[in-house]
Amino acid sequence: MSPLLPLKVYRGAAAVLALLSLGTALLVAGLPRGFELAYDDALHLVIDDASANQTDLAIRLIPRLHSQRLAREGDFRGRDAQWRAIIPPSLTPVLDTSPGNDSHYSAKTVGTPVAGRIGSDPVPLQFVDVGWLSGADRRIRYVEGTPPGPPDTLASVPGHPDLVDVTRFDIALAKRASDMMRIPVGTTLILGNSHPSLARVTALFEPVVPTDRYWDHNLDAVQVTVRRVAGSDVEEHHITALLDVSSMERLSGSDRDLRYNWIIGLSPTAINARNAPDLIRGVDEYEQAIRGLVGRSINSYAQVAGFAPFQLDSGLRELLREFLKRLATAQTLMILVMGGLLVVAAGVMALSVQLLTERMRPALSLMRARGASLGQVVRTTAGTVALATFPAIVVGYGLSYLLPGPVTLTVHLGPLLIGAFAVGFAAVRVALAHRTPLRERREDVVARRRSPRRTMLELLVIVLALVGAYLLRTRGLTTEVNTLGADPFLMLVPAALTLAAALLTLRCYPYPLRAVVWLAARARPAVPFVGLTLAARARSVTALPVVILLPALAVSVYGAVVGGTLDTTQRVAAWQSAGADARIESAAELPAGVIEKVRRTPGVRAVVPADKGTAQIGFGGRTATVVAVDLDAYREIVTDTPLTVPHLAGGAAGPAIPALVSPDLANLSTFEIGWHVRMKIVKKGVITGGLPGVSFAESNLIIVPYDASQRAGARTYTNMLLLGADKPGGGGIDATALLNATGNVPQIYVETFERALDHVTKTPLTGTIKAGFLVVTIAMTVYALLTVIIALVVGAAERTRALSFLRTLGLSERQAANLTVLEIAPLILITACAGLVLGLALPSALGPGIDLRAYAGDIAMGEYRLDPTTPILLATGLAAVALAGAFVHAVAGRRRSLGSILRVGD
Amino acid sequence: MNTSTANTPTLSELEARAGKGQPVFGEHAHILCDNLVRIYKTEGVEVVALQGLDLLIDKGELIAIVGASGSGKSTLLNVLSGLDVPTAGLARVAGTDLLSMTAKDRLRYRRQVVGFIWQQTARNLLPYLTARENVRLPVKLAGNRDQAADADELLELLGVANCADRRPGQMSGGEQQRVAIAVALANSPEVILADEPTGELDSENSEQVFAALRSANRELGVTAVVVTHDPLVSEQVDRTVGIRDGRTSSETLRREGTDGGIIAEEYAVLDRVGRLQLPRDFTSALNMERRVRLELERDHIGVWPDKPRSSEDAE
Repeated sequence: MSPLLPLKVYRGAAAVLALLSLGTALLVAGLPRGFELAYDDALHLVIDDASANQTDLAIRLIPRLHSQRLAREGDFRGRDAQWRAIIPPSLTPVLDTSPGNDSHYSAKTVGTPVAGRIGSDPVPLQFVDVGWLSGADRRIRYVEGTPPGPPDTLASVPGHPDLVDVTRFDIALAKRASDMMRIPVGTTLILGNSHPSLARVTALFEPVVPTDRYWDHNLDAVQVTVRRVAGSDVEEHHITALLDVSSMERLSGSDRDLRYNWIIGLSPTAINARNAPDLIRGVDEYEQAIRGLVGRSINSYAQVAGFAPFQLDSGLRELLREFLKRLATAQTLMILVMGGLLVVAAGVMALSVQLLTERMRPALSLMRARGASLGQVVRTTAGTVALATFPAIVVGYGLSYLLPGPVTLTVHLGPLLIGAFAVGFAAVRVALAHRTPLRERREDVVARRRSPRRTMLELLVIVLALVGAYLLRTRGLTTEVNTLGADPFLMLVPAALTLAAALLTLRCYPYPLRAVVWLAARARPAVPFVGLTLAARARSVTALPVVILLPALAVSVYGAVVGGTLDTTQRVAAWQSAGADARIESAAELPAGVIEKVRRTPGVRAVVPADKGTAQIGFGGRTATVVAVDLDAYREIVTDTPLTVPHLAGGAAGPAIPALVSPDLANLSTFEIGWHVRMKIVKKGVITGGLPGVSFAESNLIIVPYDASQRAGARTYTNMLLLGADKPGGGGIDATALLNATGNVPQIYVETFERALDHVTKTPLTGTIKAGFLVVTIAMTVYALLTVIIALVVGAAERTRALSFLRTLGLSERQAANLTVLEIAPLILITACAGLVLGLALPSALGPGIDLRAYAGDIAMGEYRLDPTTPILLATGLAAVALAGAFVHAVAGRRRSLGSILRVGD
Repeated sequence: MNTSTANTPTLSELEARAGKGQPVFGEHAHILCDNLVRIYKTEGVEVVALQGLDLLIDKGELIAIVGASGSGKSTLLNVLSGLDVPTAGLARVAGTDLLSMTAKDRLRYRRQVVGFIWQQTARNLLPYLTARENVRLPVKLAGNRDQAADADELLELLGVANCADRRPGQMSGGEQQRVAIAVALANSPEVILADEPTGELDSENSEQVFAALRSANRELGVTAVVVTHDPLVSEQVDRTVGIRDGRTSSETLRREGTDGGIIAEEYAVLDRVGRLQLPRDFTSALNMERRVRLELERDHIGVWPDKPRSSEDAE
């Protein structure tokens, strides 16, 4: 029989299957794309934040031998070609080959002091390096003077008898450097204290595009670096001036400290979450290849003596490793929820295939009895299911291309697997059902009892799941997640636990039901008894709905628990980072006027002044962080927050000042510190873990009352303000308003709870995790609803007949509807309870396996906060939706007249 | 002594006698059931549907099988149609041993040897195919068009040619059953089995369906076995076999009398090991329970209740 015919005849069931296939294909192909896009966005955020000299590859050489000297541009180009020839294939796709990319080579001197100037007064502590950058001429604009020319040699320099036959370079200087270091055009500098050379400034330039990634590698040429000389107040100024390429012949490593650099630009957009591990390996391989090349080129003793290995310099590996560590957690979570979703989707697909094959059963049985081979029956069914699913899957797959995101193998394979599963399930189911031609159930024969072998198998699964969960908790996961990928053990344990819970539910389902039926049998109304008895005998209570509903609930509840805990931990992290609703810190003392302005800022309820500084302990070299704050007032403004403020008992004898000290100072009971004034400190308690937000130092910390300095004979100082907001819960104070109140100066640092929370929650991938959970929870709810409806529709004919007979005995339509709901209710409720328990247990079972620290402001999420409100609401909601589906189905079934049903039934 | 020696066969005589072979039970029968047993068994509970049933049907015969509900009629038919496998005994249809068939044999058997008609009219036909398509379906499934009868000819023979292009929903119950017979005959089987074919029909339609069955039997020479409750059917066949408690219990033979009327004679069935089912009416009338006394007379066997005859006489 042509598979098209059943498709036409059972178009209702086929349409359900087609719609499900479409939705599932869309989810399976679309969600990974969304996730991958989010991973890539997160990576690009990280890469965009990093400068080009971190992400590009730089090969550096310090030429120590004459043979290593490169005098012409061609020499550099030759080397560059050599480096590029050995780039491993994994790095090739990310090489930036666009026009105007930032790949280049350069030679620069390092730390060249200006020994003096010819014809003008020297300016001390200036360093002017000279260098040649390939491609710089295209990227700069001369704003004054003429471009540098070739170097020449001066036989003598008037006024400097020591300078004989000295080389004079022409250099171009960045305009800003010229202004800042007072080196106008025409100045001739004496570079270097030994083997000096001269540098004549012939031009000033500005970069054409200052944000060009090229300049990330050559910031020293466009920006003056100011360094404070250690132990003094004076500052050094460093700049690199540009030379003409012809000057390279005169620039050698023997006179100056010289560096050659080859920059190989990588395209940030070509780097993504998928090729990141390859790139790390690629950089490693490249490093080895460069070393190997150098090794091979050593062929004389002199070279070995002056062996100066080429160095590969790139921050890319560290950057990507850090990202991959974060990504591994997100991926693990997403794989977990996607896995759950897949199981549920596959279950619902299977149920829908069951609906179609049940509808086809009489025709197939007839075919089989009339001489169809098993192959013919299976081919007809598989063909019908394939015709229903595959076009829909193709449409779903096509629609997934409307969603943004990169196309991975999962996108292609996922829908294909879904289709193959549906067809395979149909084929196996039909093959089993029609293996022998006549498979009629005999009503007078009792159901087969489960075999002891099966009981043992189920017991084994449960034991394995529990052992797995125990091992996961005690041993944890492999710590090399970023190199080895996600631990397969972590993937298996939730699956095994879900399966175990499903088995337990199926096995234990009759016991509570039996108790309820016993009660119902003693009650007056007949409907509960009949309904529950039907539930106990219902064929729709098969493994499939349980296997679907259980993971649906478990994953949703798990998502809610993780999401909730993540939320809470993020808020705690934000509170710990801000210290109060808002905090203002200043390097210098805060003037009273500023404090007053802050006090009048809208939203500010209370201002607690504090003073933080470094004090000398005793007369030795040991220092400690001292915080002077009124702890009682501080405690009052953080009452509604997770922050705890210790108590400091006031009354110390005489001029001694009571203090809380960190554990490392706990052995000092009375000591002196030198702060604003010298003061005597009496230890009144020990504070562990610092005072989050106020002082992050956990050791060498002393907390004294705000008026400690005053008590010691000076006055109070304030360089920190802790602010309480009008409304509790954080977020009541506007950071911009505070910045305005404090005069918007860089010395004053303003932090609000809101900004701290933003900082924590806007971490790349946090949004992905939360959105992932949300999408999956919604999908699960829809699937749960579909499960119940399809499960009811599968057994509809049988139920309708049973109900029709009861209706001839006087059952009202409303009672019939209630009966249907009662029939499915125990399954939903018991599965909901099991799902809820499993979902609540999963976080603690997987706890050590999933490190969410990176998403929670680096606070370890040790204890999952088991706030059952959301999960219970979720489970109740899901159960209610499922029951509503049952009710709708029951009410819809009323429309047919009794006569027609009984005729159909018989 | 000599005489007795002459009467007793020697070992070589016995061997020769055994080698010669005796006529096997039902050797020439088209359908043979010998001590057929079918037990439905699940955990702890056994339902014995057939308890050593014997049945012989000749080629081209049209017989009816009657019996109360649960007597094993349908089980017997399922066994004969190759849809069910007996637990023990012997079942052979047109030379095919039904107990030792492989799955492949079974399929060939269903395709070439038997045709089947169920009681429920809706169950015999695919509702979305026309009568002609329904008849062609088994041919297509079997893939042997050479042996197959022409669909239109079959429908013509069974008097439902006018329904060829109609779907089952557009036919009466009688027409549906006649099309079902055509479907059963599509692959030119040797045997057709009908399970209460007129069970859902009124007398007029029953008449037509039975006529169709009979014409298939006569015109095509197909052996027909009809399970029925319908006296209209059972009284018009040459032989009616009664089944009770999973065994054949009685047989009614009909022959044309000298006056042209039909004479029906009911017989009890004596099985191969000498078991006989006495009609329940007879045993209860004489209060026979557990034991009876048998006495061999010159031309018959007498059956008496187990009470001593002397006490009966005294009463």
